[in-house]
Amino acid sequence: MHIDPFRAVASDRLALAGLFILATIVFMAVFAPVLTFFSPDCYTGQIFSHPSLMHPLGTDSLGQDIWSRLLYGARTTLLVAAGVAVISVILSVLVGASAALIGGMYESIWMRIVDAMYSVPPIIVMILVAAYIRPSLLITILMISLLSWPEGARIIRSQVLSLKEREHIYASKTFGAGRRHIFKSHIAPELGPLIMAMTVQDARRAVFMEAGMGFLGVSDPMTISLGKMIHQALDFTYLEVWKWWLLPTGLALSLTLVALCFIGFSLEAAMDPRLVPGPLERSKEQC
Amino acid sequence: MLKIRNLCVCFGKAEILHGINLDLMPGDSISVVGESGAGKTTLALAIMGLISGSASGEISFLGRDLLDISEQEYRKIRGQDMAMVFQNVEDALDPVYRIEDLIEEAILCHTRPGKKALDERVSVLLTSVGLSRNKGRSYPHQLSGGERQRVLIAMALANNPDLLILDEPTASLDPLTKADIIRLFAFAMSGRMSLLITHDISLASALTKHMAVLYSGKIIEQGKTEKLVKDPRHPYTRGLLRSFLKMNATKDLQGIPGHMTLGLSGCPFHQRCTQHIEICERIVPELVRLNGSLIACHRGGILPLLQLKGLSKRFGSFIALQDINLTLYEGETMAIVGESGSGKTTLSKIIMGLYKEDSGDIQLEGKGVGIRSLEFYRKVQMVFQNPKESISHRMSVLDAVMEPLIVQKMGCEEDWRKRAINAIEHVELSSDDDFLSRYPHQLSGGEAQRVAIARALALEPKLLVADEPTSALDPSVQAKILKLLMNLQEMMGLAMLFVTHDIALARKVSDRMAVMQKGQIVEIGATNEVLSNPMHPYTRKLVECIYWSENGIYGQRKKF
Repeated sequence: MHIDPFRAVASDRLALAGLFILATIVFMAVFAPVLTFFSPDCYTGQIFSHPSLMHPLGTDSLGQDIWSRLLYGARTTLLVAAGVAVISVILSVLVGASAALIGGMYESIWMRIVDAMYSVPPIIVMILVAAYIRPSLLITILMISLLSWPEGARIIRSQVLSLKEREHIYASKTFGAGRRHIFKSHIAPELGPLIMAMTVQDARRAVFMEAGMGFLGVSDPMTISLGKMIHQALDFTYLEVWKWWLLPTGLALSLTLVALCFIGFSLEAAMDPRLVPGPLERSKEQC
Repeated sequence: MLKIRNLCVCFGKAEILHGINLDLMPGDSISVVGESGAGKTTLALAIMGLISGSASGEISFLGRDLLDISEQEYRKIRGQDMAMVFQNVEDALDPVYRIEDLIEEAILCHTRPGKKALDERVSVLLTSVGLSRNKGRSYPHQLSGGERQRVLIAMALANNPDLLILDEPTASLDPLTKADIIRLFAFAMSGRMSLLITHDISLASALTKHMAVLYSGKIIEQGKTEKLVKDPRHPYTRGLLRSFLKMNATKDLQGIPGHMTLGLSGCPFHQRCTQHIEICERIVPELVRLNGSLIACHRGGILPLLQLKGLSKRFGSFIALQDINLTLYEGETMAIVGESGSGKTTLSKIIMGLYKEDSGDIQLEGKGVGIRSLEFYRKVQMVFQNPKESISHRMSVLDAVMEPLIVQKMGCEEDWRKRAINAIEHVELSSDDDFLSRYPHQLSGGEAQRVAIARALALEPKLLVADEPTSALDPSVQAKILKLLMNLQEMMGLAMLFVTHDIALARKVSDRMAVMQKGQIVEIGATNEVLSNPMHPYTRKLVECIYWSENGIYGQRKKF
């Protein structure tokens, strides 16, 4: 079985669509200062203005340009997604792989911790943390990471456990290879595609949770968050301008999630040989 | 009696025999075996005083030192007290004399009996060698090879000698005649001292009680014939036996690498010996007594490489192995056979340290192995059942073969590449860049298994544990892989533990065989003996199953 995640993604239309959407959002977020006329926090002098050339989506209740806030909000979303994905995957790999490779007491302790983490309701923890410490972007990222690594750790551990029983790893042991060599030359390359898929999944969940926290108002009040914008827009549904405020924000959030979903789905299919279409089905598709 | 002490024979500068010591008592028989050029015939001729070169040392025969006496005196002994049957039946008889004249001549050289007594003696001799009286009137060219051989024997026995020397006496005879002649020899040799020079080991075991193995003018192993043939201790003797065709040998023929070179310093065999150590190149080993026979080897002959003592392993309540005792010698193939689930693979994995044994002791070269060190894996390597599984699908051929060298950190990167390519060429695979950069899924099963073997051989191990190495391959590829392994054993002196459930295969590749059932070794012994005469009911059943599946259930059971 030869998994090449890049080729798998490149040959999948769904994944390409996801990549395209994500790339567009990333582009807009990165070049936000160029694409907007106003700073997201500055008062433009007019509240609830309708869309115009100066304000493509109008302004909100505080007279801030919604288009600017949307793009800068996307920055937050992507930053949280990236941060959580990296931290959570690193934690997952460290705990999962070391538990599987070292085994014994060490493994049972870590796996019981993972079990315990599963039973923790994330939203309640978030609310409690927000209540005790002033939440900042960094704390948000750390919190989401801490809550999402256990699932990945479990997957990595089971994968490493099954890899450990593979004959080529036994063969490597019969050359006298130590744990470090086996991890470096045999396990890490095999985990590569899996880690990619996990990164995307973690990012998707992070986007969702960050928006949710913003919506619930338990995030840093100073950061611009799409979730918070949706919450604010919902307060003004009695005014006519709400749709220019709520719908593009909701759409941006949904698109980000959908893009990540598409990529994740395609990677997952590529990872699991049972989901990869065989030559027969592939030829049917082409017909 | 014949006593040879420190006999050296030189032709010019070339020393053909070196420090030969031999003792023969009346009624004793000894065979001298070895390759051509080892000096066997020279030894016979030296005793007969017929060599043109210079001899030193001592050949004491019936109380006289033959090297001191004059040619005159020697002539009296030759033909009278000692006689020789020559190698070449075509040339040994003078074509212009009748047979009876030739025999008469042999008698008349030493005694002058009356005409009648002479006639009687000749006819007794002719009958005793199985020729009719009127054959005596024919000329040599009128006789068949077997008959000429009989005449030669009659001539040798003419004066009832004390010492009979036979030089390749049956080399040119067909099997039926040979059997007759062997019977004749057995009769002729009884009560005499006899020295048999031959390269035919079955002849030697049929006729003599003792055997000496001559190599490059030196005796390297000597002992009771039966013991020597069954359990050779010198690597050369084993090589000689492996290359000798025998009806009851089951293992495929293997030769001895290289060829004999005269005048080497140190042990004469060290260049061709797969087990040689540094001292072998410098110092000539003495012939010393070891376990009842004599052997000239610095290492004391073939040593045990791997010893398993009381090995046991349980998985939960399942007993996988129970009290396994096994000794594997250097350069030997031991087949482990048995049905699946009998613990064969567990055993090989325990040896490799992939599983931990519950109790028992594993010794490599006489030293216990606990936690396996890098050193251990340099000497012991394994080939797994499924080549495509045992090579990571992310590694190219070169990467895979280089992996053990990288793990063992031997030398620099260039070295690794060189040794890996060397190993790949050893298993008869192409070493061009295209092949080296292929991945396992681009290889055929046979190629992949060769790569796996090359990888195991890259470290030049002494022991190869092969766990069903050919069960995933089709018969023609399997045949190639097996031949390859046998050749590698011949060239590198590799010992092999061959785990298989295929008894027909084990029969072809192994010297010895261990039969496993339910985690126990129920029978162990030389492969041909285990298979031709299985002692344990389980072995018998296994052998019968094979027989049935090959000949159909209604086929008549034959002994093989």
